[in-house]
Amino acid sequence: MPVTLETRLLNAHAISTHIAGEAVWLLPQKALFWPAQRMLLVADVHFGKAAAYRALGQPVPHGTTQANLARLDEMLAVLAEDVDTLVFLGDFLHAKSSRHPEVLGALETWRARWPALRLVLVRGNHDVRAGDPPQNLRVTVVSEPWIVGPLGLCHEPDVALPGGIYGLCGHVHPAVTLRGGARERMRLACFWMGEHGGILPAFGEFTGSWTMPAHARARVWVVGGGRVFAVGG
Amino acid sequence: MNAPASTSAFDPAAWFASRGWTPFPFQQATWQSIIAGDSGLLHASTGSGKTWAIWLAALARFGAKKIEPSPLKRTRMSAPKLTVIWITPMRALAADTAKALAEPIESAQLDWTLSLRTGDTSSSERAAQERRLPTALITTPESLTLMLSKATQQDALAGARMVVVDEWHELIGNKRGVQLQLALARLRKLNPALQIWGLSATLGNIDLARDVLLAGAPGRVVQGDIGKPLLIDTLLPPRLERFPWAGHLGIAMLPQVIDAIEDAGTTLVFLNTRSQAELWYQALLNARPDWAGLIAVHHGSLDREVRDWVEASLKAGTLKAVVCTSSLDLGVDFVPVERVLQIGSPKGVARALQRAGRSGHQPGRTSRLTMVPTHSMELVEAAAARHAIATGHLETRLPPNKPLDVLVQHLVTIALGTGFTPPELLAEVRTAWSYQALTAEEWEWALGFVRQGGSALTAYPEYRRVEPDEAGIWRVPDAALARRHRSNIGTIVSDASMVVQYMGGARLGTVEEGFIARLAPGDAFLFGGRMLELIRVHEMTALVRLAKKSKGAVPRWQGGRMSFSTELADAMVEQLELAAAGEFAGPEMQAVAPLLQVQQDWSAIPTRNTLLAEVWHSREGNHLFLYPFAGRHVHLGLASLLGWRVGQHQPATFSIAVNDYGFELLTSADVDWPALLTPELLSDEHLLEDVLHSLNAGELAQRRFREIARISGLVFQGHPGSGGGKSARQLQASSSLFYEVFRKHDPSNLLLTQAQTEVLRQELETTRLQDSLQRMQGQALNIQRVQRPTPLGFPLLIERFRESMSSEKLADRIARLVATLERAASGEADPSIDAHAAVMFMAPDMPKKQARSGGRRARPKRVFGHTRG
Repeated sequence: MPVTLETRLLNAHAISTHIAGEAVWLLPQKALFWPAQRMLLVADVHFGKAAAYRALGQPVPHGTTQANLARLDEMLAVLAEDVDTLVFLGDFLHAKSSRHPEVLGALETWRARWPALRLVLVRGNHDVRAGDPPQNLRVTVVSEPWIVGPLGLCHEPDVALPGGIYGLCGHVHPAVTLRGGARERMRLACFWMGEHGGILPAFGEFTGSWTMPAHARARVWVVGGGRVFAVGG
Repeated sequence: MNAPASTSAFDPAAWFASRGWTPFPFQQATWQSIIAGDSGLLHASTGSGKTWAIWLAALARFGAKKIEPSPLKRTRMSAPKLTVIWITPMRALAADTAKALAEPIESAQLDWTLSLRTGDTSSSERAAQERRLPTALITTPESLTLMLSKATQQDALAGARMVVVDEWHELIGNKRGVQLQLALARLRKLNPALQIWGLSATLGNIDLARDVLLAGAPGRVVQGDIGKPLLIDTLLPPRLERFPWAGHLGIAMLPQVIDAIEDAGTTLVFLNTRSQAELWYQALLNARPDWAGLIAVHHGSLDREVRDWVEASLKAGTLKAVVCTSSLDLGVDFVPVERVLQIGSPKGVARALQRAGRSGHQPGRTSRLTMVPTHSMELVEAAAARHAIATGHLETRLPPNKPLDVLVQHLVTIALGTGFTPPELLAEVRTAWSYQALTAEEWEWALGFVRQGGSALTAYPEYRRVEPDEAGIWRVPDAALARRHRSNIGTIVSDASMVVQYMGGARLGTVEEGFIARLAPGDAFLFGGRMLELIRVHEMTALVRLAKKSKGAVPRWQGGRMSFSTELADAMVEQLELAAAGEFAGPEMQAVAPLLQVQQDWSAIPTRNTLLAEVWHSREGNHLFLYPFAGRHVHLGLASLLGWRVGQHQPATFSIAVNDYGFELLTSADVDWPALLTPELLSDEHLLEDVLHSLNAGELAQRRFREIARISGLVFQGHPGSGGGKSARQLQASSSLFYEVFRKHDPSNLLLTQAQTEVLRQELETTRLQDSLQRMQGQALNIQRVQRPTPLGFPLLIERFRESMSSEKLADRIARLVATLERAASGEADPSIDAHAAVMFMAPDMPKKQARSGGRRARPKRVFGHTRG
């Protein structure tokens, strides 16, 4: 008996919700899956960030690019039949010096594993300096906002959108701090969905995060330990 | 070489006589020793004339001559070459030292030149020094190391015949001292006959201090104690019941402090942190507006010019009082100072003594230290400190053991200077006391790190800081890397700081970037004794104007919180033991007696033979309070260890609070403390292994990594006001990010190992931890179930700076937290959680820490047309 998409998503510890009336799934790999458009969205991958540091004389271990790609593979293995488009919400490459043969080689090899997948990059602030992805990766590059159905796909959160369009962006690297009894506190990356727009957690391995200020009307899901948890709201 | 016996040669005794002074025996002893060619250490308190003991002898030994006749000015080019290097730990002291050293040169019209080389030295002066160094150079450990990074300067330094290290006690125990040890190793190699002298205040291990400085070579210790009279007392609160059980500020004592300041000519008011100094200065000014202009504030984050003004006014005697931090611990004497107030614990016996010595400098006058407790238990501490000083129980300071981050920095420095061949440099480095036991493996690792960023297996080919050239000499091939290394030399780590400056006007000082980031334009904050309003932030500068408001935020500066010393702890337990036996000797103990009676009634008073544990169940969870009196660092280690060991039986997350008296472990899990407090829990078996495990379960090692990452050049520290440049800003990533990426992708990196080792040694003081565990095993455990927090427990309960330690699986822990929050939100159970404050984000009163990675990612002003909430 074929396993249904829902079962597969639940087994992968994804959580379903609705934004702007659209059914979506939040994945513990820090990605958003939009079944109706057969799209998988990630933000702020910052490929080659470690390489950019090394180029400036800072020793950063190898392996972050491979770890990023492995997480993409992990999701695509579950969703290959259900995803046509992988969308990067900005900051695909970290810097000019991220265009290192080793980084680009790893990306090419990965691209060859998923030849039919359509890749779209919504250009972000880092992409402006780092330049668009090389031709052979076959990435379609668009400017923000890229309107798809009721969603406006962006990199930065303060883009003006037409009325009725719900924004979805990256750039912020959102995190929240949970507090519990016994003075417990924990800071975790999160999906942050406000009234008129939402923010995805940063996907990249070697990226920091920003603690979001309190906002009464936002829905938040934290990510950690291979799970997604809805908090409050 | 013997001193030339020419008639025109300088004679210390004659110079003293010409001023009508009589030398102390220790000064004569030092003169003889230096003139005979010895190295050594002079052990004397500030204000005793130790500078004359060394300097006059140096002038004599190295043949300073009178210029006769002297219509011609001494010129840099005609004066003798570099002969003496005088090292001072603080830039701020350099100018004062120069003034003192210049006195005999000028009054005796000697042919020597003298100049400063510090971070404040102008570029024209630096250029002049590059052409020719003065006969005597006054500099800091950092500036000396910077000179070693330039080949041309090394040739000139080779001519130095004597190095004097002032305030050696401030350097011996830290990495700045290690950096200096390495620089001295180089100077000794350039000139094996180099004479080295140290000046040190009171230390418990003075012979070791000499050995470290002289790298084991023979040398004298000259005792310079001149037995100045000392008076130590305590300001007592008028009524104990109004006096707080806990708290850090002690403003309750304001009226008495004002009276004390009124009584003396000039008073130095010491606080333990810069924030407290700001708050106390403001409180004094609010209470006594007529003191505006008569009192001042002084701390390390204020601009040089501001501090210079305060110091000059102090010397001139125009100030009634200066509220200060350790920034005034060192340096020249402020003769008008009659009295020193220490607000809060002095933390150590030697420190209390040192601060006392800042007063009463005129001959025949008394040094006077008055301790001002900020909460009740500090009355006991004051009694203990007084007793320990009277009996001469002083602290020891030990040098760090082969810190690899400092070594890595040194390798790049030397490669930049003359370049090096590994076998030769290894031999040289091993002559430094801290690296005597450097192994071949550690050396190879350090070479590998500067060459390819790690051991050969995890080589980073793009990265090459240092490489051997065709001749096999290791050098730095990249000019940009060279510049960056030079601007980053040093071992003092601080958060990225921002200049505070009046709009179109003067610089006031610096605050940490993270503090300004939490303010919005229009917000007020207290700085340099003024209430300032933030106008805007421009690059790394916060532009401000005087605020109209009277209330505002107070910046906090990070920096290790000092642990109180074993000596002070022991003295304190002694006082408590007497109290437990009903004996209250001295005014402090009599004042605190009613509170200790409460402690006795509700629980018990700890003694040398009993270990007190208090168990309390509150709506917050299960509390364990334990009082080993071993200082906050050891308590942190003990608390982590206990938390981890308990977690092996039952996964749990603990919140840990520590102070110098004890620690608290708090958990929402259902733990039965009395049943768990077994001898095995406190055993010192598998200590290191268990502590290492507990480190991985907590956040300590990550924080220590921050310093190591910066010193080894892993994280670039921007410079306030320099703008940094684009490539500099691209390198600003948080060390926690580095820590995570190293842990995941290069776990065997030795810098990580060093972070762990340093946590063990410095943060947790494992040797002391082991000693404490052994002592605790010999003590009878006294478990008290208490109904409410006791006088000893209360300060821990309200401690806001907490560590956490978890043995739960991450997903389980989040699930539990989320479930608690849901219950709180739906109004069920757990009344300790305020649903509205805790459901989401941080409550406004909690300090917000923000990790940043890019430095360029602006904080979101709005999310799709909607302003932030």
